[in-house]
Amino acid sequence: MRWHMRLLAAGAVAAVTVTAAACSGGQVRGAADSSPEPGSSAGSAAGTADSTFVYVPNLDVVTDWDPASSYSNENIAMENIYESLTRYNPQTKKAEPRLAASWTSSPDGKKWTFTLREGAKFHTGKPVDAAAAKAAIERTMKEGQGAAYIWGAVKKIDAKDATTLEFTLKYPAPLDLIASAGYASYVYDTTAASGDLKKWFGEGHDAGSGPYTIDSWQKGKETELTLKAFDDYWGGWDGQHYKKIAYRVTPELTTAWQLLQRGEVSFVQRLNAQLFAQAGSTDTVQTSQTPSFQNLLVLFNTADGPLKDVKLRQALQKAIDYDGLVAAMKGAGVAASGLVPEGLLGNIPGMTPKQDLPGAEALLKEAGYGPGGKPLDLTLTYAQGDADQELLVTLLSSALDKLNVKLSAKPLQWTTQWDQGKAKDPSKRQDIFVMYWFPDYADAYSWFVNVFHGEKDVQFNLSYLKDAAIDKEIDELPALTATDKDAAEKAYSDLQNKIINEQAAVAVPYVQNYQRAFAKSVQGYVDNPAYPNVVFVYDLKPGA
Amino acid sequence: MPRYLIRRLGQAFLVVAGVIVLTFAIMRLVPGDPAVAYAGPKATAAELAAARQRFGLDDPLPVQLWNYVRDLLGGDWGTSLHTRQPVRDDLFQAFPASLELVGAALIIALVVGIPLGIAAARYKGRLPDLSVRLSSMLAVSVPVFWLALALQTVFASGLGWFPVAGEYDASLDRTSPLHLYTNITAVDALITGNWPILMSTLAHLVLPALVIAAYPAGVVAQMTRAALIEESSRDHARLERALGFGETAVLTRFALRPALNPVLSLIALVFAYSIVNGFLVEAVFNWPGLGRYAADSIRSLDTPAIAGVTLLVAVLYVVANLAVDLLQGVVDPRVRAR
Repeated sequence: MRWHMRLLAAGAVAAVTVTAAACSGGQVRGAADSSPEPGSSAGSAAGTADSTFVYVPNLDVVTDWDPASSYSNENIAMENIYESLTRYNPQTKKAEPRLAASWTSSPDGKKWTFTLREGAKFHTGKPVDAAAAKAAIERTMKEGQGAAYIWGAVKKIDAKDATTLEFTLKYPAPLDLIASAGYASYVYDTTAASGDLKKWFGEGHDAGSGPYTIDSWQKGKETELTLKAFDDYWGGWDGQHYKKIAYRVTPELTTAWQLLQRGEVSFVQRLNAQLFAQAGSTDTVQTSQTPSFQNLLVLFNTADGPLKDVKLRQALQKAIDYDGLVAAMKGAGVAASGLVPEGLLGNIPGMTPKQDLPGAEALLKEAGYGPGGKPLDLTLTYAQGDADQELLVTLLSSALDKLNVKLSAKPLQWTTQWDQGKAKDPSKRQDIFVMYWFPDYADAYSWFVNVFHGEKDVQFNLSYLKDAAIDKEIDELPALTATDKDAAEKAYSDLQNKIINEQAAVAVPYVQNYQRAFAKSVQGYVDNPAYPNVVFVYDLKPGA
Repeated sequence: MPRYLIRRLGQAFLVVAGVIVLTFAIMRLVPGDPAVAYAGPKATAAELAAARQRFGLDDPLPVQLWNYVRDLLGGDWGTSLHTRQPVRDDLFQAFPASLELVGAALIIALVVGIPLGIAAARYKGRLPDLSVRLSSMLAVSVPVFWLALALQTVFASGLGWFPVAGEYDASLDRTSPLHLYTNITAVDALITGNWPILMSTLAHLVLPALVIAAYPAGVVAQMTRAALIEESSRDHARLERALGFGETAVLTRFALRPALNPVLSLIALVFAYSIVNGFLVEAVFNWPGLGRYAADSIRSLDTPAIAGVTLLVAVLYVVANLAVDLLQGVVDPRVRAR
């Protein structure tokens, strides 16, 4: 046999071998695997002229399909498939009806009664009644994963009748806000699967009551997930609505931008500053900017090392170039006013900090440091790969350098940074810990109880603040929020004054800003920071 | 040939064993706690303890290594901390797309690189030779990420000749569902006669495959040229010329076959290199292959997935080298006799 014939034959054998080895047994990708199974999904809305909303996330969409334990990026789809009892409105700072049409609470905030809307159905065809809602929330509490802890205050749930759901709490808590959480608050049909419900969810099924249901899920593919309209949605399909949603995963921002420019996608979750500016001047594209509920915290070590001295902590607060940082971020961040972001109960206008280098110098001198005084060496840890945090560190180092303070900043992976922050030996901890914080539901309590309440073993109180009076005030917050919003507002204000001004345990350089770009044809988009990156597609109108 | 085969298989086994130990070491040396990566940044102490127990992170290191090797041999490559799926299943999903892309790129590289190398050798020192040397040097040295963005901006976004990103038009899933046999979209579409998906996939393949093909095409052209020039200066070439064969015939009929041996060896290395080099290209063109999986794994410090990708790429290197060595034995009997 001639040599090239032998080569060709060897190549053919190799190709056949690879093909045979990879053989996956004739599965079908596409329509056939998206057809609803009997009893799993009641089919899609009628009409063939379906308009599709194409959402471009930067990361894979689904990690966990179980509405009880889901606690990741899949919220962008789950919020369109599942519904909770209430939904938070950042404009009114209140929870609004969703599956619950109305609710009341007892004067002591320990009993909450929700009246469910009539006519709502799960995608399985079963009615959404109080018994089903009770079963779903109890399952979520029992699973105890993800954000299930939000139901920690609940002592028992009673389904009084088909539409009345009564919660008895162990202690007063704002259950209307808790029920609006972006995770672990979903009401779902716990009887959807004949066998293991978690496994059934994991196969890409849903049992929600939202406007959309799962059409197809192809893990790892570019268009990872498509949803289709649920015919029997209680809101109905009159008027203009998108009938389908596709999630097209696009990690590269420039690619996402080009897809939007070409009109191939409807909504891009995130662009960099340069591309966002370009989007703002493109005729076929709209942009939106909304402050998020996620802010950056610069936590000072109040328990050990040089920063035990409150004067030094106050000096550091004054050394941060807040305006310079926000300007350099080119719209990716906005100035913070206190610890609680705008849109939440407890946000205090007028607490925006300013750089004050003479003030910082004076405080350093009082403590024996500063120009002409003892040199001061401080350690700081921050998130590796976060350009905004890196910018903060650069500006702070430069400002402190002039004040005879040397800052040794280490970029670390979160797990390493956190391990060091939690070190049993206080001398191994850093002086300054930089991290983001966001609440799991729209309540400022999250910052105070997690980050500033005294802890036996350090978890997130990485300023190591231990103040019995502050702890007592923090413990009273849930009851106040549940029963007396004005008193709660005042308590939040007092606490922020104590933690930021008196104790100087933290500086808040900025609140992250959501910068979205979407097609001109998309009408009615409003960003809701209580649900990070979620687009409530049912609320949109597809334009021309 | 059997002794040669056994020797090469033995060497391959040793290399793979070394890589397994290395990937285990990487998993354990990477700073940070995998339990935190799995349980999430707000995990409680109890959730972290449960995660540690689940992944055997509290066991002594030798026990962990033994468990790792045992599980690998049993087909269990661990569970991804990010996707929560078996790593082997994740790789099985992602790898065929990468194979499709790199396979297309290597076909382009060979089809373009070998003729260019022949032309350069045929016209050594003249304009065609200089052009090939210059263009191959450019192809080898241009950063793939930049080239990918440039081609995408000009030919997809600007001129609209090709799709911007993706493997194929996802709306075809509805109108022309694809039966999967190999999980390689183009191959399955060809086997099943699904022409809409085949045409869409080929259109989507052009730009990323061209970008990945740039490096191997340049290397193949240079290597072919050098090997042909060397072969054509040997005694047999002088005899062939004396017998009246023209320069082109000497190169293509007599010098090409022995000259292809080093090119074949090179292809093995270039294949595995291109898989890794293609990670960035996959990111730009949103190609659902190993690159995206690796990037997500690194971002989320998903050590079992990172180890899985590392091990797979290492095994690919070994298998590709082995395949070429055996192929060389087919092409050149002198190799078998060594």
